[in-house]
Amino acid sequence: MNRILPLLFLWLLAAPLWAQQFALRGKVTTRENEPLVGATVRVKGTQTAALTDGYGGFRLQLPGPGSVLQVSYVGFSTVEVEVGGRTSLTIVLETDSKVLNDVVITGYSVQNRKDIVGSVTRISGEDLKGTPAASFNQLLQGKATGVQVTSNSGVPGGGITFRVRGNNSINASVDPLYVIDGVFVSNTEPIRTSIGNQQQSNPLADINPADIESIQILKDANATAIYGSLGANGVVIVTTKRGSLNTKARITANISHGWSDAVKKFRATTGPETGTLVNEAAVNTAIDRGVDPSTITLPFADPSKLPTYDRISDLFRVAGTSSYDLSAQGGTARSTYFAGFSYLKQESIVKPSDFERYTVRFNYDNHLSDKVKLGNSLNITRTYRNVSSNDNNPTGVINSAIFPRSYLPVFNDDGTYARSGSFDNHLALIRNLNNNAVGWRTIANLYAEWAILPELTLKSSWSLDNSDMYENNYSNTLISAGIATKGSAASYETKNLILTNEQILTWRKSFGEKHRLHALVGNTVNSVIQESTTATGQGFATNNLTSISVAATTLGSSSRAVARLVSFFGKAGYTFDNRFTLDVSLRADASSKFGADRRWGYFPSAGVAWNASNESFVKDLGVFNELKFRASIGLSGNQNGIGSYAAQGLWSSGSNYLETAGTSPSQLENRLLTWETTRQVDIGTEFSILNNRLGVTVDYYNKYTYDLLLNVPVPSRSGFTTYLQNFGAVRNKGVEIALHSRNIEGRNFRWSTDFNISFNRNKIEKLASDIALGASGRNISILRQGYAVNSFQLYKQLYVDPQTGNAVYEDVNKDGILTSADRQIVGNALPRFTGGLTNTLSYKQFDLNFLFYFQEGNKIMSMHDFFLVHGGTQNFIGFIPRQLERWQKPGDVTDIPRLTTYSGAPTVNGGPSNNYGGNVANQSSRYLLDGSFIRLRNVSLGYTVPQSIVKRAGLTNVRAYVQAANLLTFTRFTGLDPEVSSQSNSQNTAGYDWATVPQPRTVQVGVSVTL
Amino acid sequence: MKQKLLTLLVALTGLTSCDKYLEESPNNALPTASAIIDAGTARAAIIGAYSRVQGYYASSYPTLGTMPADNVIFNGTLSQYLQLDQNAVTPDNAVTLDVYQGIYRVINSANSIIAYVPGIQDPNLGSTEKNTILGEAYFLRALGYFDLARGWGGVQLQLKPTADLADLKGIKRSTLDATYDQVLADLVKAEELLPEDATTRNRAQKSIARALRARLHLYRGQWADAEAYATQVIGNTKYELVKPFKNFFTSPFLTKESVFELTYSTNNRNSYWNLWYPSSLGGQYTLKPSASVTQKLNDPAIGGSRSTLLAGTGSNVYGVLYNTSATSTDPSYLIRIAELYLIRAEARAQQNKLTAAVADLNVIRARADVAAFSGATQAAVLQAIEDENSVEFAFEAHRWFDLTRTGRAGAVLGVTDRNYWVFPFPYQDVLSDPDLEQNPGY
Repeated sequence: MNRILPLLFLWLLAAPLWAQQFALRGKVTTRENEPLVGATVRVKGTQTAALTDGYGGFRLQLPGPGSVLQVSYVGFSTVEVEVGGRTSLTIVLETDSKVLNDVVITGYSVQNRKDIVGSVTRISGEDLKGTPAASFNQLLQGKATGVQVTSNSGVPGGGITFRVRGNNSINASVDPLYVIDGVFVSNTEPIRTSIGNQQQSNPLADINPADIESIQILKDANATAIYGSLGANGVVIVTTKRGSLNTKARITANISHGWSDAVKKFRATTGPETGTLVNEAAVNTAIDRGVDPSTITLPFADPSKLPTYDRISDLFRVAGTSSYDLSAQGGTARSTYFAGFSYLKQESIVKPSDFERYTVRFNYDNHLSDKVKLGNSLNITRTYRNVSSNDNNPTGVINSAIFPRSYLPVFNDDGTYARSGSFDNHLALIRNLNNNAVGWRTIANLYAEWAILPELTLKSSWSLDNSDMYENNYSNTLISAGIATKGSAASYETKNLILTNEQILTWRKSFGEKHRLHALVGNTVNSVIQESTTATGQGFATNNLTSISVAATTLGSSSRAVARLVSFFGKAGYTFDNRFTLDVSLRADASSKFGADRRWGYFPSAGVAWNASNESFVKDLGVFNELKFRASIGLSGNQNGIGSYAAQGLWSSGSNYLETAGTSPSQLENRLLTWETTRQVDIGTEFSILNNRLGVTVDYYNKYTYDLLLNVPVPSRSGFTTYLQNFGAVRNKGVEIALHSRNIEGRNFRWSTDFNISFNRNKIEKLASDIALGASGRNISILRQGYAVNSFQLYKQLYVDPQTGNAVYEDVNKDGILTSADRQIVGNALPRFTGGLTNTLSYKQFDLNFLFYFQEGNKIMSMHDFFLVHGGTQNFIGFIPRQLERWQKPGDVTDIPRLTTYSGAPTVNGGPSNNYGGNVANQSSRYLLDGSFIRLRNVSLGYTVPQSIVKRAGLTNVRAYVQAANLLTFTRFTGLDPEVSSQSNSQNTAGYDWATVPQPRTVQVGVSVTL
Repeated sequence: MKQKLLTLLVALTGLTSCDKYLEESPNNALPTASAIIDAGTARAAIIGAYSRVQGYYASSYPTLGTMPADNVIFNGTLSQYLQLDQNAVTPDNAVTLDVYQGIYRVINSANSIIAYVPGIQDPNLGSTEKNTILGEAYFLRALGYFDLARGWGGVQLQLKPTADLADLKGIKRSTLDATYDQVLADLVKAEELLPEDATTRNRAQKSIARALRARLHLYRGQWADAEAYATQVIGNTKYELVKPFKNFFTSPFLTKESVFELTYSTNNRNSYWNLWYPSSLGGQYTLKPSASVTQKLNDPAIGGSRSTLLAGTGSNVYGVLYNTSATSTDPSYLIRIAELYLIRAEARAQQNKLTAAVADLNVIRARADVAAFSGATQAAVLQAIEDENSVEFAFEAHRWFDLTRTGRAGAVLGVTDRNYWVFPFPYQDVLSDPDLEQNPGY
């Protein structure tokens, strides 16, 4: 510090001297206001030149005030700028080719793409437009290689599955790290109202996608290792919009409205069909029991007289979507700003859920002096969800409509709601459900940046992600949850606070034209504080009194957990002659979740890149405009998703009896618990040919995750069910290919195509023993060494015997009987490949964009079929039409066996008891369906009003558009929609379809106006 | 200069001690090492053990004891109950899993108390209280192993708290006899250590240990011992048969009928009623009284006043043994004095003391306002006792275990394959425990 002060003083003295020599300060940026690092700024006609620093800044001494600057940068059009007496200016370069030459925000630094040694996908905010989804990560579907995005349901603001290069873990988190304007944001589900076994909300729906400038997805070890313990599942860096210096205010308003409906609806057999099936089951069961069927009383004397009540139509509606966006951005000579406001309301196509969101954003930067810059990003969001239970909850809205038998009336004779079995009345639910979740989210960052020397910058950043979810649920006496208790209410307050402080010291220098160096060191201190309070009340005087304070009995509880992380990191890169780049990094993390001896983890990485297109022999080929090869290797860690106190041996409180507090053993100690580590190798190439018309990126990766933080099932006789230990390994390897082609670039007509495809193969390399789980204890999902995660184990149905009508299953262990040992892995919920095809066309004032998304090779376990094709064994459950395909008489060839409820001799393969019950218990591979599909995810058509007209109205830009989502889907899946994951609460139970809201088909119209 | 900046960096973060910053512990749990160290923690531990008995007795164990037999039928949609009703239970049945894990949790709590409470040096924990806590732990462990043995047969005997998974290795299943021997050994200790007062019915007492012991001897066919221990309990004036029958399952609970029941409250709920009540009353109606038991209970000559176990009419009959639908505070009924009479009746009948046996049986029938039984042969008396058990404990954890212990499940229920008289060990235990041998047939 002592030496810096005099230095500073020198700088201050020197500054006015330069001014007299026509000193010029400036900055070179892209149109997106991202600084261009290493751009050449030359005074025209002289040898005076400068390279821009790490923030795009430069200083020059000009021969005179009227000089002209030539600014050039690979991949951007060279521009000439007249200084015109100015002493500072911002120069914006326009991209020359979209393929190779963006600047890329990697971990803690901004780099030229050509110097990048890792695998990073960049998506601009512009590319996110067009689909009516509330969250930006959902919008990445089909747009980036190595990223698999699946919406778990069609509920607006609902949960999604987002994986970067596969599932790397089993019990620790498999979600990537999301960094928004430098803030590590939480992706933890905050909603606690039990609504089935699905991830209920997408916490990232708190961000308005329209605020986003760009998204970078860091995939390989070199790019992610700098995030150390947080980077193993990839890193998604979101940069929101900021203003540019010296630009006048631009105010943009965007208004759209949309209508959604269901492409397919649930189906049920009619009353007469149901009666016929029930009778047939009774007759067959009698035969199986050795009883003369003519002696039994049929459940229905004349099924054809049974009525049919339609419940399913009551579920669906044409759902509205309204979206309003208003933003202002601009800047003065010293400061820039972006301010945005948005409102979104989306209804679910299945009543009664909906989602409403208000966001406010304010991003501000101020250059306090030439050397000190201060800025902030601030996002405040309020969300409102009308929460409705589905999936595996029998008293959920969908289950209450699709499960009751269709001949049963919806209302009793006295007009009250009729109920059957465990199910509620769907109309009672739709009309009375009163579950509200109101979320407040603040994501804020304040930073100061100090250019100590031209090549040395210190940045300190203080971040906060505070989310607060307040849920109030009231079940009145008209729905089953409130009948017995005379009304029951619950209130949950959930707080999740993440505090992050970072310091980064960056050093950049170029030596001549051939050597470019950059290095950084930094540290991070991170705290995650989760707190919650619950209050419940039961027994209300009337349905109009809903406050817990007036309930007959009330209960309360609260919880708190704190986890901390301390990290130090460093990174260095060297580029020689624009041809070779070497990049190394090291990060050390210590987590409070682990014991004192095993707390620290070290995560190094290294990568090299060779820009072959700068070699003369490649240039001589005349084929490649760009050609680059890169390779990287490194380690990154994972500790997310395990409990804050996971390593400690604990006795939990709360085991109370007789109004006395009790304790009982809850967790076994594991002193050795430490980081789960992923080692990743990535080899890639990027090239463009045909005068930059076709750009190609290809990557191969191999990720090996070891020391898995695994909840190893332990024998129940220990008094525990699982033990968290570092055991096991998972491998993901794959190939990613992305193409960008500018097919036609005419004056009036332009057409470009983006295609990407990602192959991933997942395999559990090491596991202590099989872990079976899923489907509410039916253990249909299994984790087994040698197989991929998310495998399904079922009894493999070979055929239905045409003579007997009984199902025959594969006898895996060949012991002649059918037992649980004969279950086997028959499929997997992970697709073999996923990808997208985007076409963008423009003709004069019209633009057209459409995206096909596809995935292939994944299976879906249809719990819908499992329950509703039950062969008569379920007295309170109806049927779906697939049950009508059952075997009826000798000679029938079908995969749906003969109806029976007989349960004797459950080990006999090909016997009647295993048709629907028995040892197989309906866990037959006949309900495992192909989930591959190709979908026209989005198509949008826009018209930009000609400038001549717009100008006359005093506007800058006006575009009107119509867009549609999910217009076409090609699939063999027989359920409502193949994009579904009803058991997504656990990452290891993907691929179930179970009474879930399908993806909606949406048509939207909108207009965007810029003042 | 760079070094200085680094120092500055670290100083900026305000970190004086990294390690101290990274020490975090929960505010709702105790470290295992200090879980049982003084009077307060010892008391909390035994309370926790009772809470864990509630964990498996609130709904799962009574379901296992009834559904596979003929009094309760499946009327819902959850296949784990369907499997129990059909006697086609798979290893991943959620109810058997819940009970199996729940019982071993009790056993681990009890083992911890038995291991650590004797070593506590705390003036606030006198030897009397220490003995009581230990006696309760021995009793709960006995109860746990007894409930395992009658459900699964001989099981693996864990007698030490689990501190390290390595301690589990090599413990194979014991025989059924060895398992019952362990139950007996624990009951002997419990009886010795436990206190006895005139009112306690929801925490272990000497007489509760004796009652369980009478039941154990009955299950093992040790008729004289069964009779002797039943007589000891019946002779205790703390207990009497309440009349009318429904009094014992009507709030206020803890009637003199009750030898051992687990108490619930609005802070600690038992919502088992939910599985019995029809959905129009807010329940799931998964468990329904069978047509045969409905007919028997409603027959004045068989059920008598025990018809009060039923409500509803026609096809909407439902069981109301668990009936606090507004507050969910039904007790778990583990041992009623009525059972001791029927244990003694059966033990006496087996020893051919038929008159005394019939006398005991008729005490139960008289309480239910049913005419006295007057059969003469040993077989008839035994049959009458079996039938009486079925209606007296229609919805408690009795019928299935009675029919399997007497070898009658084949004849009465048609479950002729004896393999299915015991439940399968949970799938995940079979996968994770090389020392566990699955029951045959699963």
